[in-house]
Amino acid sequence: MIDRELDSILKRVEKPARYIGGEVNMVKKDPAGVSVRIGFAFPDTYEIGMSYLGLQILYNILNQDDAVYCERVFAPARDMEQLMREAGRELYTLETFEPVKNLGLFAFTLQYEMAYTNILNMMDLGGIPIRRDDRIREEQEKGIHYPIIIAGGPCAYNPEPLTDFIDVFLIGDGEELLLQVCQAYDYAKSHAAGTGRSVRSVFEDRIASMDGVYIPSRYDVHYNDDHTIREYVRTSETVPKRVGRAIVKDIETSPFPVHNIVPFIDTVHDRAVVETFRGCTRGCRFCQAGMIYRPVRERKPDTIIGLAKQQLRNTGHDELSLLSLSTSDYSDFENMATELMGICKQQNVALSLPSLRLDSFSFRVLDEIQGYRKSGLTFAPEAGTQRLRDVINKNITEDDIYGAVRQAITLGWEHIKLYFMIGLPTETYEDLDGIAQIARKIMDINYDIRGRKGGRFRITVSVSNFVPKPHTPFQWEPQDTPDDFIEKHNYLSQKLRIKGVTFNYHETFTSNLECVLARGDRRIGRVIETAWRSGCSFDAWTEYFHAEKWQEAFEKSAQQEGFADGREMEAFYNYRRWSEDEVLPWDIIDPYVTKEYLIKEAHRAVEETTTHDCREGCTGCGMNRHTECFVNRIVK
Amino acid sequence: MKYIIEFSKTGTICYTSHLDLLKVFKRAFKKAGIRIAYSQGFNPHPKMGFGQPLSLGYWGLEEYVEFETVAADPSEEEMTPQDMLSALSAIMPEGLELKRILEAPWLRKTLAAENIAAEHMIEIPALFGDADDIRARFLGQEQILVLKKQKKKQEPVQIDIKSKIRELRFHVAEGTTYIDAVLDSGSESNLSPELLINALTECFDLHVPRSEMNVARKRLIFKEQVQEALSKS
Repeated sequence: MIDRELDSILKRVEKPARYIGGEVNMVKKDPAGVSVRIGFAFPDTYEIGMSYLGLQILYNILNQDDAVYCERVFAPARDMEQLMREAGRELYTLETFEPVKNLGLFAFTLQYEMAYTNILNMMDLGGIPIRRDDRIREEQEKGIHYPIIIAGGPCAYNPEPLTDFIDVFLIGDGEELLLQVCQAYDYAKSHAAGTGRSVRSVFEDRIASMDGVYIPSRYDVHYNDDHTIREYVRTSETVPKRVGRAIVKDIETSPFPVHNIVPFIDTVHDRAVVETFRGCTRGCRFCQAGMIYRPVRERKPDTIIGLAKQQLRNTGHDELSLLSLSTSDYSDFENMATELMGICKQQNVALSLPSLRLDSFSFRVLDEIQGYRKSGLTFAPEAGTQRLRDVINKNITEDDIYGAVRQAITLGWEHIKLYFMIGLPTETYEDLDGIAQIARKIMDINYDIRGRKGGRFRITVSVSNFVPKPHTPFQWEPQDTPDDFIEKHNYLSQKLRIKGVTFNYHETFTSNLECVLARGDRRIGRVIETAWRSGCSFDAWTEYFHAEKWQEAFEKSAQQEGFADGREMEAFYNYRRWSEDEVLPWDIIDPYVTKEYLIKEAHRAVEETTTHDCREGCTGCGMNRHTECFVNRIVK
Repeated sequence: MKYIIEFSKTGTICYTSHLDLLKVFKRAFKKAGIRIAYSQGFNPHPKMGFGQPLSLGYWGLEEYVEFETVAADPSEEEMTPQDMLSALSAIMPEGLELKRILEAPWLRKTLAAENIAAEHMIEIPALFGDADDIRARFLGQEQILVLKKQKKKQEPVQIDIKSKIRELRFHVAEGTTYIDAVLDSGSESNLSPELLINALTECFDLHVPRSEMNVARKRLIFKEQVQEALSKS
């Protein structure tokens, strides 16, 4: 419970409710009555972590097992961290205020690369040595037992930058795998005694051959003189040559939470949410989610509606949202949306449908659910010309956009948001001109409908910087340098000086760093540790991001890792074209989408040839050699 | 129909704010199947409110929440006040204890509009004199001046809080000084216990950090008719 010291700390921090747990639907168990205690850590603040559905899914599954207690851990904000460190207070779980150091397993979810320093910070704040080597040494020399450090989530598809710190990576769908891992830990705890072996080694042996388990200590990496990777060598026969990913074959039968924890404070998303399907068929060539979450697996409409009703009943939420990579691609979308609208209306619940494809049905739905309080309408053409959209395989035409905009303005929308990426492969300044042309044409459509003054209509153009990601057809691409990005931002700022248009863009070096962390290998671990030691954390937060400290970290690490200087090291990861023949750091992970397919797609991109949506016929990504595609899809 | 629930807010949950608590109740009503009435207009909001907002960090021993319901669907059975109380009690988070529910057709304005004073218990882990002496010394000041932040102006303004203190009793035990204070509360005249704490700190030259002190609101005091109605039921 909360003692006097913690009480005095909580009185001095902002939003103390982030650190007290006790929310409606929090799981309470007697810690003495379970055999496995696992901390589920989201390496960012409570408000962000509690909006992440994956946490609620896995928390629910693990806690349904009487032998397991899963507790939540978030990164304390800076003010809290400082007071905790001053008082010598270690990071604790929200369920029982247990120091994380005392747990058996401590599992991080890797949702974005810019949270990596927070992982080190949370381990350190928990009194756990950040490096695996140090933990093992203390275990052997002093008999101190630290939790096994686990990491999973989309960024685990290239685990290499974090291999110095993490014991076990879990790749792919976590619903079945994480529970199996907990059970293996339970087994190891009861079987290691008397064998002379450590719980750690019995545990790792037990999980070594499971699909989705990557134990980095059981592989060595050798490098070529040009810094590229020569090969991965297994140091133990217990582990596979390549680690396949865990797949939940049918999400319909996979447990989904209906007693979601309801935070006391406002979080990013305070709402009931049901995942309608996993995976995406569109094959945009820059999109990592579109590759690593394959294949499409749907939940049945009745199941979705039942889950939504139960969640609303158990939480008292007044907003419901659907989660997937592309809401309208659900096979029975129209019927399901119509039914949900009825339920929500009756219960005074707001329905929120993200990422709709704007056809006439969507407009009817949006008009109905938003009424006279219309929020902005969002389009993501991603690129300014049809040529470049063909390169990235984003199958949306300008006619689609203009038709939808015309309809939207007629129905009363006054704010259009447009999302683009710059720095895409083959991009020229003509493509940037295209961005301004689209904004200008939409303005003209508004003048056409609303008259010469145009009313209060406005457009927001948001531009992000392209970051090539592992396991995508663009994984070999060079990224634009900071100078390239700045020049393009300046160019667009000029071109988008249009009345009623607001232009936003992302911080440049953040995108370059994201790229290094996304495509890094084991040598990047030193850079991350150095940056964290110099005070970096919360790098995803603009106010806490220190580009110069990261640059220093590259400078300090470069020579130890065989590079001439920091600049050469950054250039090696970011600004060269990687060879299709070289061993990639993430080749150790098999996403089941084949490299041949990614190469074929990369070549089609250069040829400006699109690839159709795989619902219209298999495009041969390789997924169906491992599992069934389109489970539960309704074909009409 | 209008209802009032008396409840207490104690322990860890005190680190939630007034607005957080409003949402806890709003969701609980929804979960319990209590159909709250909504205001008309462009931004409908549920008809509910507290006797007076309780500051983050304070305990509240005798708090009130009022709400208005609409008639149930003809198909559904009307909930009795007792049904509501037990349904809500079952789903309240730890630290929120619902004590009683009463029908309040007599409530014309909001409870907040009827609130005139509040009794607080302030706990300061320090000794700075005999209870009678410190009371005499503190209230013996001609004026009790404190700095108060103004809503609009940047500079805090000095104000005299003496007339807003209705009753003040000191009690000393085991190294701690307890102050029982009845202070003006509500829209007509209001005194935050924080200002009283500042005045005490100043007067007795205390060196106790605010984070070591505790404040509990023991009860809310309302205008006569409402006070009577509340104590009768």
